[in-house]
Amino acid sequence: MESWIPLLLVLIPVLPLAGAALTAVLGRPVLAGRSHLPVVVGIAGSFLAAAGLVLAIHGSLPAGANLPGAGDSVNAGYERTVDLWNWAVIGGAYHQPAGPDAFVMRDFRIDVTLRADPLSAIMLAMVTFISLLVAVYSVGYMRGDRGYWRFFAYIGLFVFSMTMLVSVSNFLLLYVFWEAVGLCSYLLIGFWYERPAAAAAGKKAFLVNRIGDFGFALGVFLIWTAFGTLNFHDTLGADGRIVAGVLGEARLEGGSIGIGGGTATWICLLLLLGACGKSAQFPLHVWLPDAMEGPTPVSALIHAATMVTAGVYMLARCAPLLLATVDGQMAVALIGGFTALLGGLIALTQTDLKRILAYSTISQLGYMFLGLGTGTVLGATAGMFHLFTHAFFKALLFLGAGSVMHAMGGVVDIRRFGGLRRILPVTHATFLVGCLALSGFPLLSGFFSKDLILVAVHERAAESGSTGLYQWLYWSAALTALLTAFYTFRAFFSTFYGQKQIPHEAGGQAHEAPRSMLVPLVVLAVCAALVGGYFEVTHGFADYLQQTPSIAYLARQAPQPAATGGHREVMLTSAVIALAGIGLAAALYWPRRSAAADAARRAGQAVGFYQLSLRKFFIDEVYQVLLVWPGLAVARASDWIDQRIIDRLVNFVGRVPPAVGAAIRPVQNGLIPFYAVGMVFGLLVLLAAVLMGWGWLGT
Amino acid sequence: MENELALLNNYLVVGAMLFGIGVIGFVSRRNMIIIFLAAEMMLQGVSLSLVAWARYHNDFGGQMFVVFIITVAACEAALALALILMLFRASGSLDIALWQHLREANQPAYVDEEIPELEVKSPTWPRLVPAGRQPELDRSDTEHRPSV
Repeated sequence: MESWIPLLLVLIPVLPLAGAALTAVLGRPVLAGRSHLPVVVGIAGSFLAAAGLVLAIHGSLPAGANLPGAGDSVNAGYERTVDLWNWAVIGGAYHQPAGPDAFVMRDFRIDVTLRADPLSAIMLAMVTFISLLVAVYSVGYMRGDRGYWRFFAYIGLFVFSMTMLVSVSNFLLLYVFWEAVGLCSYLLIGFWYERPAAAAAGKKAFLVNRIGDFGFALGVFLIWTAFGTLNFHDTLGADGRIVAGVLGEARLEGGSIGIGGGTATWICLLLLLGACGKSAQFPLHVWLPDAMEGPTPVSALIHAATMVTAGVYMLARCAPLLLATVDGQMAVALIGGFTALLGGLIALTQTDLKRILAYSTISQLGYMFLGLGTGTVLGATAGMFHLFTHAFFKALLFLGAGSVMHAMGGVVDIRRFGGLRRILPVTHATFLVGCLALSGFPLLSGFFSKDLILVAVHERAAESGSTGLYQWLYWSAALTALLTAFYTFRAFFSTFYGQKQIPHEAGGQAHEAPRSMLVPLVVLAVCAALVGGYFEVTHGFADYLQQTPSIAYLARQAPQPAATGGHREVMLTSAVIALAGIGLAAALYWPRRSAAADAARRAGQAVGFYQLSLRKFFIDEVYQVLLVWPGLAVARASDWIDQRIIDRLVNFVGRVPPAVGAAIRPVQNGLIPFYAVGMVFGLLVLLAAVLMGWGWLGT
Repeated sequence: MENELALLNNYLVVGAMLFGIGVIGFVSRRNMIIIFLAAEMMLQGVSLSLVAWARYHNDFGGQMFVVFIITVAACEAALALALILMLFRASGSLDIALWQHLREANQPAYVDEEIPELEVKSPTWPRLVPAGRQPELDRSDTEHRPSV
C-alpha cells in the first residue's frame, strides 16, 4: 500500500488541474452546459486518491504507536516525501559563520517535493471531499449562468492550488500556492464582475491579503536566514551531508528546533500575520464579509471550508516553531480569542444571511487559532479537529443559505423572508443540523471539537498559572460559544419560522432546489452530525494526526498532562452554554411572538451596543480614515506631480527635436547644386582641419 | 632631387587647378552636360596628381589607379549621358534646377527670379477727335494709365 503513495500524491493535484484545463479550453466552444463534467470527474478522482492516501498512510503507521502512553517518547511521526523535480539551485547562497574560522555554506535549493503525512492527508481528504460536494452543488446552482464554464475552470484551478498548498514541503512553494489560492479567491469573488460591489470586494480581498502575504514573505526570509533552508523535510546537501529541514526529523529529534528568543518570536509573529490575512483574523478580517459577493458555492468552498483554513494549517504545520516561543503562542491565542469574540459580537446583529455566516466563520477560525495558541498537543489537535468539523458544517450552512437564495431569487436579507420550512423542507432540515453543529449542540460534531479547544485552553490556563491570559481567553471563548449559539439560531428562526414571507424577487414560484443541490446538503448534514462523535469515540482523528512529525514533536516536548476531571466539567459547561444560547434565540425569535419578546428585542436595539455591532465596530470606517484616505491623498499628490510637473517636463523635451528639425528642414531643398556646395564646404572644412592641425584630424 | 620636387610641384599645381576649376564649374553651372564635364575635370585633376606622385615615388601603383579611374570614368560617362538624355526627353531642357522633386515635403520649390510676364494687350490707338467738340474723357484712361 505504501508504494502507492507517490502516485496518489501526484494524482491528487493533477486531476483537478487537468479538469480545469480541459474546461478552460473546451468550455465555451464545445462543452457549454456540460462544462462541469471534467472538473467534477477530476475532483472526484482526486477525492478517491486522497481517501486512498489517508488509508495508505494509516496502513504504514507503526503498529502500536496509536496506543496512548505507549511509545510516546520514541514516536517521531510519519512522513514520506516525493521529489518531483528541482526548481531552482543557487550555489553557496547561504553563508553563515559557524565559529571563529568556520563557515556554513549551503545551496539555495527549491525542490518541488510533495509530502505525505497525516496532517496533509487529512487536509487533502477534507478539501477534495468538500470540493466535490460543492462542485456537484454548483451544477444546480450555477446552471444557466453566462460564465458557467469559467466558474468550473476556476474551481478546478482552486482545488489544484489548495491541494498543492497542503502537500508541498517547502516554505517558498507554500507561499506560491498561498498566492495561487488567493488568486482563485479573487477571481471567484469577482466572478460576477459586472456588479461593482463584487468587483470592489474582490479587489478588497486581494489588497487586504497583500498585507498578510507581506508578513508571510518576511517570515519566509527570516526562516531562510535562521535555518539556511526552506524545506520542511531533511535533504541531502551537495557535500553529501544531511541538511536538516526546518521541520525535518533530523532537527525535531534533537529535541530542540535550534532557534529561540527574538528570532523565533519574530518568525512566529510574521507567519501569524500571514495567517491572519488568509484566515481573516482580527486586524485583517475585513475582506471576508465582503467576499460574500461571490457565488454562494464559492463562499462555502473557499471562504468557509478550505482556503481560509490555510492559515490554521500553516500554523499547525509550524507548531514546533510556535513551541519555541511563549510570546508567539500568546500572540496567536490572543488574536484567535479576540477575533472569535469580535466575529461573534458582529454576527449578532447582521441581517444578511451570508454575512452572518461569514462573521461566524471568522469567529470559528479564531477558535482554531486559539487552540493552536495554547502550544500544547491537545490544543493543536483540537484546532485541527475544529477545522475538520467546521469545514463540514460551515459548508453545509453556506450551501443551505445558497439554497434559500436560490428559492428567494437572490435575496439574502433575513428580514425579508420567513417561515420557509414548508417550502424548503430539505434545506430546513439540513440547515438545522448545521446550526446545531455550529452552536455546539451536544453530540453533534461542533460540540466535540469546540469542547476540545475549550479543554485545551482550560488546561493551559490551569498549567501556566503565571499569566492570567489563558484564563481570560477561556472565559471569552465560552462567551463566544454563547454568542455563536444565539446568532446562529437567530438566523435560523428568522429564515425558517415565523410568518411566511417571500420577497417579490422570488417571482411567486419559490421552490425547493434541484436534486444536484440537495444531495450535497444531505451528505454534508450527515457528516456534520456524525464525524465529531465518531472521532470522539474512536479517538481516530487525534491519534492519526499525532503521527505528523510536527505534532508528534509537540507531544514529545510538551507531554500531555494527565487527563484531569476538567474535561467533563468543560464539556458540561459548553453544553449548557450552547443550550442557553439556543434557548435565548428561541425566546426572542420563536414564531409565537409574545409582547415580552418584542419588547426585549426593541430594548436591545435601543442599546448603543446594538448599533456598534450592526456597524461592525466601525472597523471599516476606521480603516477608511487611517489607511484609505492617507493613501488616496498620497496618490492624488503623486498624480498631480506626475501630470503637472513630470509630464510637462517630458513633453517639453519632446518638443525640442521637432523644433530643431523645423529649423533645419529648408536645407533639404532638392537642388543638386546646393548639395554640391554643401559637399564642397565640407571638404574645405576637412582640408582646413588637416592644414591647421585641429584635433585628431590634424595628426 | 630638387628638380624632381619642382616637377612634382608643377604637376600638383596643375592638378589642383583642374580640380578647382571642376569644382567651380560643378557648383555654378546648371546645364547638366557642363556639370558632367566639370565632374570629369575634377577626376582628371586628381588623376594627374596621382600620376605625379607615382612618378615622384617611383611607384606604379598610382598610375595603375589612374588607369582604373579612366576605365570607370568611361563607364560612368556612358551611364551619365544616357541619364541626361532621358531627363532631357522628359523635360525638354538641360536645366538641372528642373529636377528638385526630392526636396523635403512642404518645402517651397526653388524658382529662379520671376520672369516678368510679357504684357500682351491690344495697343491703344490714338483716336481722332471730332471737330468742334470737347473730347469726352475716357474714364479708364484717366484712372489707369497703362503706359506713361
